[in-house]
Amino acid sequence: MSGDIIESIKENVIQGRVTRDDEGIDEGMVGQPGVTELIKEALASGVGVSDIINRGLTASMTVVGQKFENEEYYIPDMLASAEAVGAAMELLEPYMAQSGIKPKGKILIATVKGDLHDIGKNIVSILLRGTGYLVKDLGNDVETKDIVEAVREEKPDFLGLSALLTSTMVNMEATIKALAENGLRNKVKIIIGGAPVSEEYAESIGADGYGADGFHAISVIEALNSGDSVAS
Amino acid sequence: MITLNNQIYIDRQKLLSRIGYGDDYEPSARIASLVDDYIENYHDLLSPAYSYTIRNIESVDGNRVTIGDSIVLESKVISRLLERCERVAVFALTIGNYLEDLVAYLAENGLILQATVLDAVGSGTVEKLAIQVEGKIRINAGIEGLITSRRFSPGYCDWEVSQQELVFRILDGDMAGIRLTESMLMIPRKSVSGIIGIGQPGNDIENYNPCSTCLKKDCPGRRR
Repeated sequence: MSGDIIESIKENVIQGRVTRDDEGIDEGMVGQPGVTELIKEALASGVGVSDIINRGLTASMTVVGQKFENEEYYIPDMLASAEAVGAAMELLEPYMAQSGIKPKGKILIATVKGDLHDIGKNIVSILLRGTGYLVKDLGNDVETKDIVEAVREEKPDFLGLSALLTSTMVNMEATIKALAENGLRNKVKIIIGGAPVSEEYAESIGADGYGADGFHAISVIEALNSGDSVAS
Repeated sequence: MITLNNQIYIDRQKLLSRIGYGDDYEPSARIASLVDDYIENYHDLLSPAYSYTIRNIESVDGNRVTIGDSIVLESKVISRLLERCERVAVFALTIGNYLEDLVAYLAENGLILQATVLDAVGSGTVEKLAIQVEGKIRINAGIEGLITSRRFSPGYCDWEVSQQELVFRILDGDMAGIRLTESMLMIPRKSVSGIIGIGQPGNDIENYNPCSTCLKKDCPGRRR
């Protein structure tokens, strides 16, 4: 029974369906339960939260990631699935602590000072939540000193920095320097992303990793989290 | 400032391309239903407005263009255009803040697909509005027997975003309801500002395109 419902959750994440009112990637799915309804049903029938996350959500996002890589899914299809995972996590997060499930790690994420673009950052946030990380989003146009303060207070395992403009990506370097000046650089692993930045830029400013897109960012963080070296 | 009605129409195929689909690709049922729903309803989220002014070009000295009394634009690309022109139209336009407020609300609530589609609707709409305003400037110049160039915005090529402030100074307070952040980005974000060169026919103003000789082939703003 739990296998069936987890399988349905997985299938509906792949189909990008948040509620029963949503169409799927395949046509004619309106009216069938979506991820929200299925998660509620699973929780009511006592299915374990970690089972739902690992075998339902994380497994489905692995499939979506492969479809995206194979160009079978385009960005919006991937976003539909990410949206479904986000809705699922919203329902599951209150149960995680009481089930004794610890997040894989804590991540602070921010778009740096001067930059108002946040869609890429939001996508990465949702994907990370769906992979089992605790994410605190500091927003966009975040002052360097506020990022430093948040790292000091929240003691995250990772810091994700985003920028879309060549004129603002320099604030990533400023943030890393400010963390170093405050004795915090070695306490957090830093991943950067955004259209103007690259693996080389990440290296040149002393970041620990670079995420080319949402899924790549997750795999870089997973690799850093398991202590592996990060290969692009 | 001139306000317009909200009847700005965007092209469905271009919208699909903006959100990441290739040319002529028909999206999945999930995405198509959402896109079609927004295309039907986005007009209520628009409050378009624009302003522009025409100024004489006082001088072009190397990579510096002096406009009006003392405002100096610094850019090689802009200088090479304006040295062929007599006047310059300086404009700012926006679709207003309702649409992007809704995008922010959707994103904050995890509705990232909807936020992305609506954001792309906003980008398509502001581009359409820019084409309309460009057309008005071209028609008015044409009445005097003059022709116009393409439009150029701060941030294009070597024209620094920091020069946005000068564009707004030329507009002399009539900023179509747009304000600038400390880092010279416009609020509402779905706004465009810039210049259009105006001059006599025969100077090839209308075909001036720095992209054709630029080596940065992968530039996202490259124009044919």
